[in-house]
Amino acid sequence: MLLLSLATLTVTMSDEIVLQTRALTKVYRDFWGRQKVRALKALDLEVQRGEVFGLLGPNGSGKTTTIKLLLGLLFPTEGEALVFGKPASDVGKNERLGYLPEESYLYRFLTAEETLDFYGRLFDMPADVRNQRVDELIKLVGLERARKRQLQEYSKGMTRRIGLAQALINDPELILLDEPTSGLDPIGTREMKDMILRLKDEGKTVVMCSHLLADVQDVCDRIAILHQGELKELGRVDELLTVADVTQIRARNLSAECRSEIRETIARHHGELLAMDNPTTTLEELFLTIVRDSEARPGRRAGVK
Amino acid sequence: MVLEQQLLPYFQWLLTGGDDQIGALPTFALVFLGLVMAGLAVGYAIAAARHGLLRGGDVTYHTIVDGLREIIDTSPRRIWALARLAIKESLRRRVGVALGVYFLILLFANWFLSTNHQDPARLYLSFVLTATTYLVIGVAVLLSAFSLPGDFKSKTIYTVVTKPVRAGEIILGRIIGFTIVVTALLAIMSLGSYVFVIRSLDHAHSVDASTLERIVDANDSTIGQSGRTTTDAGHFHEFKLDADGYAATSTVNGHTHEISPAGENRFAVSGPHGFVRARVPQYGKLRFIDRNGADKDRGISVGNEWTYRSFIDGNTPATAIWTFDEVSPAMGQQYLPLALIVRVFRTHKGVIGRPIAGQIQLRNPETKATSDPFPFDAMDQQVAEYNINRELTTNNGQPIDLYEDLVSKGGQVEVLVKCLERGQYFGFAQPDCYVRLPDGSPAASYAKVCVSIWVQAVVVIAVGVTISTLVSGPVALLFTAGFIILGLWRQDFVDIATGKSYGGGPAESVYRILTQANVMVKLEESVLTSLLVGFDRFFAKPIMWAVAQFLPDFSAYSTVEYAAEGYNVPWDRVFQDVTTCLAYVAGLALMGYFLLRTREVAR
Ligand SMILES: Nc1ncnc2c1ncn2[C@@H]1O[C@H](COP(=O)(O)OP(=O)(O)OP(=O)(O)O)[C@@H](O)[C@H]1O
Ligand SMILES: [Mg+2]
Repeated sequence: MLLLSLATLTVTMSDEIVLQTRALTKVYRDFWGRQKVRALKALDLEVQRGEVFGLLGPNGSGKTTTIKLLLGLLFPTEGEALVFGKPASDVGKNERLGYLPEESYLYRFLTAEETLDFYGRLFDMPADVRNQRVDELIKLVGLERARKRQLQEYSKGMTRRIGLAQALINDPELILLDEPTSGLDPIGTREMKDMILRLKDEGKTVVMCSHLLADVQDVCDRIAILHQGELKELGRVDELLTVADVTQIRARNLSAECRSEIRETIARHHGELLAMDNPTTTLEELFLTIVRDSEARPGRRAGVK
Repeated sequence: MVLEQQLLPYFQWLLTGGDDQIGALPTFALVFLGLVMAGLAVGYAIAAARHGLLRGGDVTYHTIVDGLREIIDTSPRRIWALARLAIKESLRRRVGVALGVYFLILLFANWFLSTNHQDPARLYLSFVLTATTYLVIGVAVLLSAFSLPGDFKSKTIYTVVTKPVRAGEIILGRIIGFTIVVTALLAIMSLGSYVFVIRSLDHAHSVDASTLERIVDANDSTIGQSGRTTTDAGHFHEFKLDADGYAATSTVNGHTHEISPAGENRFAVSGPHGFVRARVPQYGKLRFIDRNGADKDRGISVGNEWTYRSFIDGNTPATAIWTFDEVSPAMGQQYLPLALIVRVFRTHKGVIGRPIAGQIQLRNPETKATSDPFPFDAMDQQVAEYNINRELTTNNGQPIDLYEDLVSKGGQVEVLVKCLERGQYFGFAQPDCYVRLPDGSPAASYAKVCVSIWVQAVVVIAVGVTISTLVSGPVALLFTAGFIILGLWRQDFVDIATGKSYGGGPAESVYRILTQANVMVKLEESVLTSLLVGFDRFFAKPIMWAVAQFLPDFSAYSTVEYAAEGYNVPWDRVFQDVTTCLAYVAGLALMGYFLLRTREVAR
């Protein structure tokens, strides 16, 4: 009885959790095996199916390292990374996965079409499926007019777009985006965010890392904040950003009397009126606090489980 | 002279091997097993250092099991995609330049190659084929050594390995892609070479009318004319026209022309024939009789050539005897076609300008019936072709039939060759006398030579791609080049490793160089020298020996000599080379797979 329920439990669990790291640690070493950088320290993460998960952190905090470990591009020094319940070094996982690297590492002598066709072949797609998919994606990322041009002639934003198309060639279930909006113009950024939300609607799991907080705030369900390789904060964006002891009041068409009444009411209840204006992007506040705090007091933050 | 080592028939070569070697397949299995064991040991050592003893074993085990599973998952479409990428990359890296260089070489070749040479075809063929070999192998090294390291450097490999690509497909795709590029280059170059050689050697003579003289028979009626051609391309030919005005000219510089009547007292001379040939020899077994009439396996030595050729002394009973099997009238209805190559060693000048005389006799190995001697003039190192007439006489003048009386029931005949002049020597090796089977197609034989160049290039590509999974481009280039150089001098390398050559191993050699002691000097006994010798003995030489086990013998792959000397490349040879090549590709691809699999891509 107990055994049975345990078994069903593990099945549903592994079905839900797309990504998992257990005490994942990476130490970069030089040729002689001497330690250079502890880029990641005992990271524990779980990403559920259908989530948009954001990895935040200042430059050099270990975001890209985490993604590379998840992809099997790097081998963990300790701990393990599981993707779809399989070890990250398993090639089979790549069938259901898309990856947009930090910079677009694509063959510059290929055209957009050839690039997508090439990656399509790597997924063993038959020619008709491939051609259709290439057309769709080129349209999706808005490169119709540049489809026959070599990538070496592309601007940064265009390269980013073809990089995204490449990551989506296999209609992946899990998409890893390393700074997806870098190099994109405001429209491109908007489109990228819409795309991420659309992927989420389709039930895909997206893991992105970024330091553009507005972007993260707009699209992510949950975030993890890394600093110097350590996990500093982890949780739902809406929960993290709710400041429990602060009330923000936004209203329209208030009269002067009403406003003074509110002030009085607050004063009567020994409250302190902070401001009555438009709210700021508070993720920025949170982020800066955490980073400052962590610099002042290194080590794991108490709040993170 | 081409074939210094006996060529085994393909299946014998593959399975059982010859006298002093085991078959190729068992050899491959042994080397493969050795490499697998070494790979396992090294792999486990690295894994254990990384993860600890127990977990290291686990990791090693999984790497191997997953590796074997991935072989099944290999997809031809992915390999082809990667091969196409490799081709595009080569085009972008301007492999076409190699073609430009090649045609420039041909352009300048005419400056220093001359058709006025005793064997111009040999000169031309060996030149263009050698140039082609070096260029193609050079391109193969450059393409293969820089490709993967380039991908690592530009990080394009990240987007490839995060697709469901098996590491083996990356390796195989590259090998196949570059092989296609090299094949195309080789095809263009070898076609160009062939046309170049044929056109360069082409020349025309006309009949020099002032030299024509009537040939008359006993009744003073004209039965033909003799004369010679004009001097063109530095030579002329002599000829004897028959009554109708037809003739084949004498052979000069390895070719002849045909003459036919073209109107009243005028003759047409055809273009050159026989420049490019594909002789098909049927070899026999050689033994000797020394000056005292005793049977010997070898003749005598006249210096450093003793390893290959041995000599008989002139005007003594010393004889070289070849025994040929399966001799039948199918080889020639009216005569037995023989070829003889003599290495003449003169202890005195003899009569200046006159060749040394020798004689050939045929003998039945069973009945010992022997033909009257057939005299010949020995031309040093040239292939002389003789047609031994079917109707012969014995020593005492009785008529005998070559095939009926001199060939034994088992189809064997012996060819006895002697030198007739005192104090002069003839040197022979087994392949120096053979029965001439009908020539093969020169073009087909030439194509087979190109296959052997191709084989070398493919092995080089496989080596380059495999090693470049580990190291940067320049290092991979050096390594591959080193591999080729060691492969070219493989025999010397093996001789050092097995202690056959003088002067000891690497450490001892360095010591000898520094102390200026030549290889024959005995080393003084000291702690240092015994340390050095010990190092060579227990460390350097075993490593060299191990390396030699999988080092390809590049010098043996080259069949350029066959084309240059005008011999047909035997199919056995082609099949053996291609098989070896495939074995290298398979082994190296497997090795490359594990190297790439266990490498951290994003370092
Ligand atoms: N190949 C490497 N060798 C040595 N150290 C490395 C290597 N790659 C990254 N690092 C170090 O690891 C740490 C984390 O790097 P990582 O690239 O993961 O940061 P990141 O969070 O992605 O930064 P960014 O926002 O700038 O992209 C840094 O200190 C970096 O210097
Ligand atoms: Mg990064």
